[in-house]
Amino acid sequence: MSLSSALSIAQSSLKATSRQTSIVSRNVADASNPDYSRRIAVLSYTDPGVSAVKIHRAANDLLFRQNLGALSSWSGQATLAQGMDRLELQVNGVDNTSSASTAIGALQKALQLYATTPSNQNLGTSLIESARQVVRSLNDGTKAIQDFRTKTDGEIATAVNDMNDLLKQFEVANQAVINGTRSGEDVSDALDQRNAVLKKLSEFVPISTYTRGDNDMVITTGDGTTLFETIPRSVTFTPSPGYAPGAVGGQIYIDKVPLKVAGTAEASGKLAGMLQLRDNVTVTMQRQLDEVARGLITAFAETAPGQPDAVGLFSWPGAPGIPPAGTLIDGLAGTIKINAAVDPAAGGNPVLLRDGGINGAVYRTNPAAAGGGASYADKLIAYGEKLTKPIPFDPGAGITANSSVVSYAANSIGWFEGVRQQASNLADSKEALAQRTGEALSNATGVNVDNEMSLMLDLEHTYQASARILTTVNQMLDALLAAVK
Amino acid sequence: MKTTSVSSSAMSNAMRYSQSRMQVELIKRQKEMETLRVADLGLALGARTSQSVTFARDLERLNTIVDSNKLISSRLSTTQDALGKLGDAAQKLLTAVSTAISGDPGSNVTRDAGKAALQSMTSILNSSINGEYLFAGTNTDVKPINDFTAAGSPAKAALDAAFVARFGFASTDPAAANLTGAQLDNFISTDVMPQFFGPAWKTNWSNATDQQIVSRISLNETTESSVSANTDGVKKFAMAAAIVTTLFSGNLNADAKKAVAQKALTLTGEALGSIAQTQSQAGIIEQRVTDASDRMKAQINLFEKHVIDLEGVDEYEAANRVNDLMSHIQQSFALTARLQQLSLINFLK
Repeated sequence: MSLSSALSIAQSSLKATSRQTSIVSRNVADASNPDYSRRIAVLSYTDPGVSAVKIHRAANDLLFRQNLGALSSWSGQATLAQGMDRLELQVNGVDNTSSASTAIGALQKALQLYATTPSNQNLGTSLIESARQVVRSLNDGTKAIQDFRTKTDGEIATAVNDMNDLLKQFEVANQAVINGTRSGEDVSDALDQRNAVLKKLSEFVPISTYTRGDNDMVITTGDGTTLFETIPRSVTFTPSPGYAPGAVGGQIYIDKVPLKVAGTAEASGKLAGMLQLRDNVTVTMQRQLDEVARGLITAFAETAPGQPDAVGLFSWPGAPGIPPAGTLIDGLAGTIKINAAVDPAAGGNPVLLRDGGINGAVYRTNPAAAGGGASYADKLIAYGEKLTKPIPFDPGAGITANSSVVSYAANSIGWFEGVRQQASNLADSKEALAQRTGEALSNATGVNVDNEMSLMLDLEHTYQASARILTTVNQMLDALLAAVK
Repeated sequence: MKTTSVSSSAMSNAMRYSQSRMQVELIKRQKEMETLRVADLGLALGARTSQSVTFARDLERLNTIVDSNKLISSRLSTTQDALGKLGDAAQKLLTAVSTAISGDPGSNVTRDAGKAALQSMTSILNSSINGEYLFAGTNTDVKPINDFTAAGSPAKAALDAAFVARFGFASTDPAAANLTGAQLDNFISTDVMPQFFGPAWKTNWSNATDQQIVSRISLNETTESSVSANTDGVKKFAMAAAIVTTLFSGNLNADAKKAVAQKALTLTGEALGSIAQTQSQAGIIEQRVTDASDRMKAQINLFEKHVIDLEGVDEYEAANRVNDLMSHIQQSFALTARLQQLSLINFLK
């Protein structure tokens, strides 16, 4: 060993230490970047005394995958739960104030008041006004639901575009990883970037990945459709410009395979969440509104011996007949209206509701001659009873039980709140899981600034010692040279 | 190698996450404390929300029916009152005709008593509440009884015509003095009776319908809630008063007048019994309405209790939770500040 070798070792140590310091500095700089994985500078020895720095990237595949899965279910569930919150407000209003059920309650009340004093025409007019509220609630509910579907459809189109963009970004990042791996460069940054894209992708659909030679990555969706293999696969979707009740929404194709959607209250991935909102929750809600509308038309139908049942207070495009029993009619809630014959605003006469005869004198039930019998209440009372009498409902609307139209309207709220509660509870627990796995991943691969600081102290010491050696050797060499002089 | 590690961002994120969760919770609990109801009914009850909706609606309905029952009760009690007065009027007529039988039937007192009875009967039966005629059946916007004493009364004309048809001269004709009591008795039974108990009643006397007002007095109970002027009691009273008024002002002899008074006495007596019967029936309905209201009030209390059970929040618990959350958030803030100070950087100088 010679002084010159001591000098060169100190030199290489200085070099290694500065390299390590740069890593520490990078770690500290990216300490709050959630996509950054901590770099670890590891010293290794190529020749005796010559240290080289190798860079390791802290990674934990298991935790990362867990986090991807959790992110995916949380994002889907949150989409579903938030969508239902919005739907609740738009269709039923705060504390169900604008729901069909509340409006029907007010209608029952108005009916009772009118039945108690049938000679009072103001009460008849106020009954028609309450009926108008019911119609408005059903019409507005239908509009809100269909608007919601159209908007969700647009959001799906945006999400599909975002996904295609992400897949393109992934291709670039993946190529960088492959190239870097082949040429033996440090690919940590490219890997971080690739993982960041993966996290974003998993918010749209649940994904699983596997890595081939040269760190090349293949992505498939949860149900096995290829999303990326060497090149991105196309995700396609054609949005619809507007929705009407009963219209079937377009499908999302990943690599030409349609995306499947499971149950009602659970969704994994934003796309699945939005599809469920558009195709399940809103469709069932709409059907229930349609059935409520049908129940109301039926309850207020006029009957007469030997005559077909005909529309009464509520009318629909198929008037004067009433809709067939127990069969859903798509969009009925959007087209139900007050019968013009009893609507004072349309030149009608509410008294016809009390006496019967909306559809001609043969339907009149008031035994007194026309113009008389002002306190005849039997028909109004009968309407009130029909509202609470069980009738068959279409099982396709999600509530099977035979019930009266008033309890059907209440059950409809119950059904929706049940689904919303489930979705919201699941969203809470999935959010906690996503948070927890994110924390675990961050703990395993993230930066602890204090740790880096203490590392920096070590490095400082090493640097100082090496520098000291340099000066000492320098002095020794100076002494030697002085002796030679 | 490290066995455990904590990343700086996980540390601060976890703190932030729990803080924001607590703040969201605080807003909800605060709302609960103010309203004493759960903050989000749908999320709290889920599928059971339909129960709460149904309870709320039934409560509304029950309250409406209790209110409308008050209207029915007031109609019934006014009816009771009117029937009582009708009984009093009949009683007066009874006294007058009994005097006529025992004393001098020629006096005008009896005739005037008959006229007074007719007038008070008409005014009582035509009384109204809330713009509805009480005794009109369902025809509540038409006066139920036509005034017999008014000029051109069809009922009076019909009665006079029947007299002329029977005897060939009017009751005011001097020839009427020759009619016997038996003749008049027969005339009243065969010719006058159908005018009150046949279809003529509805053309000449009454505009009321036989059908009564029907009202719903509880969620599943309906009842007739009015009395029509077409009851036997009213008809008999009207007939007694009408024959006394008409025939006592004619030229009948004392025997004939006594026969008329005798007939009127029987009819008035029967009318009194019948009116009392109607009165008691109205009383029974009134009782039914009151009972139904009481039952519904009990139901309302029960429903309200259920609603509170379902969606109410214990105010002490809510207050406690708000306090807890506030102190937790405060602690969390203090801890965050302390942890921020606890950094190696502060010691590297």
